[in-house]
Amino acid sequence: MESNKKYWKGLEELNNSPEFVELNKNEFAEPIPIEEILSGTGLMTKTPRRNFLKALGFGVGAVSLAACEKVPVHKSIPYLIKPEEITPGIANYYTSSFDGHAILVKTREGRPIKVEGNPTDILAGGGLTAQAQASVLELYDVNRLQNPVKDGEQTSWDAVDYFVKSQLATIKAAGKQIRIVSSTVNSPSTLAVIADFIKAYPTAKHFNYDAVSYTGIIQANQNSFGKAVLPHYRFDKADVIVSFGADFLGSWISQAEFMKQYVSNRNSKSLAGKKMSRHIQFETGMSVTGSNADVRIPIKPSEEGIALIALYNAISGTTLPGTQKLNNDVAEKSIMIAAKELQAAKGKALVVAGSNDVATQVLVNAINSLLGSYGTTIDLDNTSNQFAGNDHEMADLVTEMKSGAVDAIFFLNANPAYDYYLAKDFKDALAKVKLKVSFSDHGNNGEGVSTLGDETSSLCNVIAPNHHYLESWGDENVLEGYYTIVQPAINPVYNTRQAEQSLLIWSDAPVKDYYTYVRNVWDKELLAKGGLSGQKGWETLLQTGSVKAAEKTASSYTFSKDLTAVVQKVLDHSKEVTADGDKVELQVYQSSVMRDGKKANNPWLQELPDPVSKVTWENYAAIAPKFGEKLGYKEGDVLKVTVNGYSVTLPILFQPGQAQGTVSVAVGYGRTLAGPVGNGAGQNAFPFYSYRNGTMQTAAVASIEKTGDVYTLAQTQTHHSYEGRTVIQETTFDKYVKDASSGNRSEREHKTYTLWDEYERPQYNWVMAIDLNACTGCGACVVACNAENNVPVVGKDEVRRRREMHWIRIDRYYSFNENVTKEKEIDKLDNLDHVSVVYQPMLCQHCDHAPCETVCPVLATVHSSEGINHMAYNRCVGTRYCANNCPYKVRRFNWFNYWNDSRFDNYLNNEHTQLVLNPDVVTRFRGVMEKCSMCIQRIQAGKLKAKIEKRPVKDGDIKMACQQTCPTNAIVFGNLNDETSEVARALKSERTYYVLEELNVQPGIGYQVKVRNTKETEA
Amino acid sequence: MRNISFILKQFSRSVLLAIGFALLGSAVYAQTDAAKGEALFKANCTACHKVDQKLVGPALGPVVTAETDDKWLYKWVQNNQALMATKDAKAMKVFNDNGQQAMTVFASLSDADVGNILTYVRAEWKKDQTPVASVAGGTAAESGPSNLVIFGLIAVIIIAFLVILILNKVIGTLERLLLNRKDIPAEEVEPSEDKSAARKAEFKKLLKNKRLVGFFVVCAVLCGGTWQWVTLWNTNVHQGYQPVQPIKFPHDLHAGVMKIQCQYCHAGAYKSKNATIPSLNVCMNCHKAVDRRLGAKEPSTEIAKIYTALGYDPQTSKYDSTKATPIQWVRVHNLPDLAFFPHSQHVKVAGIKCQTCHGPVETMSEVYQYSPLTMKWCIQCHKRTEVNYKGNAYYDNMIVVHDKIKRGEKVTAASLGGIECGKCHY
Repeated sequence: MESNKKYWKGLEELNNSPEFVELNKNEFAEPIPIEEILSGTGLMTKTPRRNFLKALGFGVGAVSLAACEKVPVHKSIPYLIKPEEITPGIANYYTSSFDGHAILVKTREGRPIKVEGNPTDILAGGGLTAQAQASVLELYDVNRLQNPVKDGEQTSWDAVDYFVKSQLATIKAAGKQIRIVSSTVNSPSTLAVIADFIKAYPTAKHFNYDAVSYTGIIQANQNSFGKAVLPHYRFDKADVIVSFGADFLGSWISQAEFMKQYVSNRNSKSLAGKKMSRHIQFETGMSVTGSNADVRIPIKPSEEGIALIALYNAISGTTLPGTQKLNNDVAEKSIMIAAKELQAAKGKALVVAGSNDVATQVLVNAINSLLGSYGTTIDLDNTSNQFAGNDHEMADLVTEMKSGAVDAIFFLNANPAYDYYLAKDFKDALAKVKLKVSFSDHGNNGEGVSTLGDETSSLCNVIAPNHHYLESWGDENVLEGYYTIVQPAINPVYNTRQAEQSLLIWSDAPVKDYYTYVRNVWDKELLAKGGLSGQKGWETLLQTGSVKAAEKTASSYTFSKDLTAVVQKVLDHSKEVTADGDKVELQVYQSSVMRDGKKANNPWLQELPDPVSKVTWENYAAIAPKFGEKLGYKEGDVLKVTVNGYSVTLPILFQPGQAQGTVSVAVGYGRTLAGPVGNGAGQNAFPFYSYRNGTMQTAAVASIEKTGDVYTLAQTQTHHSYEGRTVIQETTFDKYVKDASSGNRSEREHKTYTLWDEYERPQYNWVMAIDLNACTGCGACVVACNAENNVPVVGKDEVRRRREMHWIRIDRYYSFNENVTKEKEIDKLDNLDHVSVVYQPMLCQHCDHAPCETVCPVLATVHSSEGINHMAYNRCVGTRYCANNCPYKVRRFNWFNYWNDSRFDNYLNNEHTQLVLNPDVVTRFRGVMEKCSMCIQRIQAGKLKAKIEKRPVKDGDIKMACQQTCPTNAIVFGNLNDETSEVARALKSERTYYVLEELNVQPGIGYQVKVRNTKETEA
Repeated sequence: MRNISFILKQFSRSVLLAIGFALLGSAVYAQTDAAKGEALFKANCTACHKVDQKLVGPALGPVVTAETDDKWLYKWVQNNQALMATKDAKAMKVFNDNGQQAMTVFASLSDADVGNILTYVRAEWKKDQTPVASVAGGTAAESGPSNLVIFGLIAVIIIAFLVILILNKVIGTLERLLLNRKDIPAEEVEPSEDKSAARKAEFKKLLKNKRLVGFFVVCAVLCGGTWQWVTLWNTNVHQGYQPVQPIKFPHDLHAGVMKIQCQYCHAGAYKSKNATIPSLNVCMNCHKAVDRRLGAKEPSTEIAKIYTALGYDPQTSKYDSTKATPIQWVRVHNLPDLAFFPHSQHVKVAGIKCQTCHGPVETMSEVYQYSPLTMKWCIQCHKRTEVNYKGNAYYDNMIVVHDKIKRGEKVTAASLGGIECGKCHY
């Protein structure tokens, strides 16, 4: 039955649109115009014989002269005094932390080139997000501020210190207010520094301002249980998860951690124990989380509250006063199913909501309390410190500034001039403040050396540029009791200074050196939490990277407040965002890649396709295909979206699964002073936020109209098409329990005939196993691969030409929930609301019978005795036959010298940025094919290490870059010849199949059948 | 009389003999003293002291010569700590003058030993002092010749030019004389022209011989082709490349005469891809003490370059990092960056001698590229070289190795996949 199921990457593929068919005829979007030259006037034009001879003579002469040039002299400059721990050619690793994750920073000859997760990290156990992987590139961003700036001019630290201190003294004397605005600070040392600063200037006040905040949850916990905290969610302990718009596998609170927790109940290991969690998602736009859900129900933002009330009623068996009926049959039915399942899984159930509305979150708390989630799946005692911002404080600040009470303001990692919803109000109010100091470290309008910084710092009189985190000392405390250390892996590149140190100097603290300060903080209390002490303890900490105090027991909490008022507020909120007439409901969300836009100038992130829409470099207006057609819109039409007088123009993207009558727009784009990469990428959606009931609300009523322009998004979804061949195999959990090999149409038992000779793999047979059930499609592996293998960034225009260079891509396939076969496609537009999604990481399959190898005329790509498809770049002459003959479409052609071409100014065309390159992998030249090498540099290094240590290679010694960063361990790599290896065991699983096995190319990468926990009964 | 004279003779002989013996004996005694001192000096003192210049401790020559109180010196050498404990004024002065660095206690040295050392040091210092003037003159003269040679060469060239001019004039005059006597040349010219015409005709005939011409053309094409073939094969092959280095580092002296292990300086070869050019602190391990060639009177200008680069002042033994400038060596062995050559694999795992690829470095006064460093050269070696698998557990599980050993075949690098593209190119 499954064999008829159709998978498609985009609507153009589903509809077989003429453009799609045309583009798929060619491997490359724009063929070289050889035909034109040969057939057209190219050959007819007359070149006079003399001119021809002149050109020939000049050509030969020039070539000979060029050849006569001596080989350039290479200089070798050794260290004058070599640091003891450095051996040129060998990487050193330093512990540090990023976003609270304990990490290892790989440095070569003193420069950080890669970030890896620290296996001891309790959040993600060595997994990292795409943002963390990309963070190392920001160190080499030439748009960083290189000197302190005062009134738009670069100046010295002394001048800045003198100015700030004298100003602060006057303000203190006058008794005027001082404010420190930061994004959430959870570093104990930083908090102590700020406390010291406030001691020195008693009118100072610090508050956290998060561009995308979780005030709703924090405030709801205060109202429900008297604890204003962000709880620690435990998806690993939940058997049934119901989420209302919480994108917990994407941008919600703690991506890598939740991914790891979530998948631990759905991966091979869990399946082998016949256990799989169930996940039901109600949401507006298709998020990464929704795309991974077993059941996903599209609902409008206005229906969310009503649905939650219905869920409460169904679970409690009561009817709350004011209960309304959902105008959505599917959702109504699903709520009943969800309620039944949640009740059945009491104590192992979890309901989360992405809403930032306090009342909605209180209702969620009440539901969780009914389900007995507190103490099991929600931990209110070991709380999370990841976000602590309170929205009303920013609103208060603007009022205060307007009144003229505030005379000094400091911005630490906060950029309200860009991400505050009333940016203009904020800017006007800011103009009244005398002393404006920003610690912004980068940002530029794209002209010359930056003296502007970001949108906020450009309005400040002083910019005291902060260090990049890889240059800093510090610490983080994202979870109660879990402390990680931040230590520098490089000396400061520019004349920057750590913000904390600036604050210490300005507050005339007794300890002005921040390193000493951090040490004091740790010596005093934090080291003891990990059972460490003294110099030895400190050194141990620098080696391990973190300390963990014993966890408190998570106690159970019961919700006992009256819900009447809450329900009224929820209903009011629903009413406010209900669109009537020709208006639509607008959902403003965070994309899992760009988040709040602080990293907008990072080309690795800009070019990483959004997991669901596969759009790069910008945001868009996502609407449901059926809704769009009803309004007479086409994909690519530019839409003007207006809310309360603010409007942006965005191209339309038809998003299957999007709720009817809604538009989703991502924040984090439309920066104006991020730097040349981020400036002009998309439009700013933060002004669509509104401030209601003390929190920022992400839903609004918008009017939309077509501008008449047409725009092509740089979307990678239908690049590299399989032309309808089935590459995905899936089953349901029920069937899996009955038959572990269900859904696997592997043709193992067939007799195969082969054209090729068989070769032995006497020592190693390097293979990979990818568990489709563990992959959530986040894309961290893509960025990790970019960093490891010097993969170039090509830019928006080249992506449109289908020339992205990523060695690994995540293919996202849609399919209809019902078995809609080609014959039954008539009703498909209705079904486009209910599509299911499969993610498939696709990289070179290292086929044993590789079709690329047989067509290469120069033997540039050949097979190794270790089962790897080698690619010798310097042998390649660029015929591109191999790419044409690759059934997996994983070969990439270098159309340019991306690292030495001014057209690609946003990435490596700069000596300073080139320092991020991995010296163990060459940069490829124009006209050369490239592809996944199975991190051969890591294999070679691993084998060499074993040889030097005179021992065999152990399983797990060698890790691929993509594998190492994957928080869910979806990718397993190893030696198939070793029967005890993890990969050999994984590939023996009944779920293993090989993509396009019928071609008998014998791929080296096995995939494991996707299992969905769907029930026969539901929609 | 005869008897007396005989007796006198005998006596004088014995006296002379005795005197001779005595003299000889005393000479022998004096020699052992200084020789013993030298041995002791080298065993105990050279780590910190030199006779003629400051090292860690002061230059001993002038200090010991100036200090005549040997008893005090004995005490100082044997236990300077005890001497200082008594607050001996002289001792405290020495201690303070030399950066308050305490000297090692040599309780094992007897008074006689210290005496011997002092004798040796004083003798050395005296030797050093006497010929100073002549040495200075010598060095001054030494730098002269290079200029002299240049001037001499210029003079020779001018003289040669003049000679040519004069000879030309003479020839001109002689030709004019010959032209004046027209009868003689007329007779001689006629037959010679006749002959040359005949030769020309013969040559033309040969030119028309197609076989002969064809033969020569084939030969020319073959030669040209071969030449081109060889040239193209050797394009970008820089075998024998011997650039001038910023410091004339003599490998023949260090690796050859002094027999210093290669990896002492190129330590990376054992553990890293790079063999690494030693950082200057490695040079300073020895050259903090050794600042000149053996027996040379003046510090070496090449070694001084190390000090300059480090901002090191040998007089004060202090480093000034603000004056430091890195040394820019010229790379001799340039592999293209598309080829990955890990030294540790070859040196540590395979146990290949450095000389196999780098040639007899221990005899090179200036390093040159010994091997062609072409891929062919790599591959050839990989095909021929046996894998050094004995005693390395890494190779234990390798079925192919076992099979080959059983069959008595050679296990070469190539047979383990050592000639596959991706092993070096990635």
